[in-house]
Amino acid sequence: MGKVGGVIISHGQVGKELQVAAEALVGELSFVTAVSIGWHDDVELARGEIERAIQRVDSGRGVLLLTDMFGGTPTNIAAMFLRVNEVEVVTGVNLPMVVKLATANEEVSLHDLAKEIESQGKESILRAGTLLEPRRMTKDA
Amino acid sequence: MREVSVTVTNGLGLHARAAVKLVKLSQRFRSEILLTRDDLGLTADAKSILSVLQLAVTRGVVVRISISGDDEPDAADALRELFLTGFGEKDL
Repeated sequence: MGKVGGVIISHGQVGKELQVAAEALVGELSFVTAVSIGWHDDVELARGEIERAIQRVDSGRGVLLLTDMFGGTPTNIAAMFLRVNEVEVVTGVNLPMVVKLATANEEVSLHDLAKEIESQGKESILRAGTLLEPRRMTKDA
Repeated sequence: MREVSVTVTNGLGLHARAAVKLVKLSQRFRSEILLTRDDLGLTADAKSILSVLQLAVTRGVVVRISISGDDEPDAADALRELFLTGFGEKDL
């Protein structure tokens, strides 16, 4: 059994760079790829690109589409591929979410992984001062 | 269980690259390895990069390493060494 695949879909090269950063941390990710959608790209072309990307990373365990912003074109196109147990979409991708995908264990299902990555993304957004200088922050934390 | 307390001495603290070294080293051992910041009451799994990063360890912070398993002694020695050498980084 392979791992759940991942496609990072973004406006511009953000997704590709998130993949590169995650690979610098945890090593090459053969089951993750990125699709960049330009501001003026044709929706049908973009849709075809995402379809091919899904096929590239799908090992039969399902594919998670990580998109940059809910309501944006990358998310809207990604949502066309939603299929129970085959394709899930999580929006608002950040680097910890990609690292979580990269380090997920092989047994986790697509559905559970999607939920874990949604939580990870939210938990990873912190006001750094509350952790780095707890004493100074106690007054207004 | 074995416990070792160490102080982080490298300038950047447990930032991403240092955390990767710590995680990769920890993953070589069968023991469960936890890192605790007693000053904040936070504990992390030393084998998970995301968990380690959320400890927000900066220079000067004391980390308590708790190791449980059949290769405790080797893990304790290796991890102590990694912290003592500042993750192989310059003391900025």
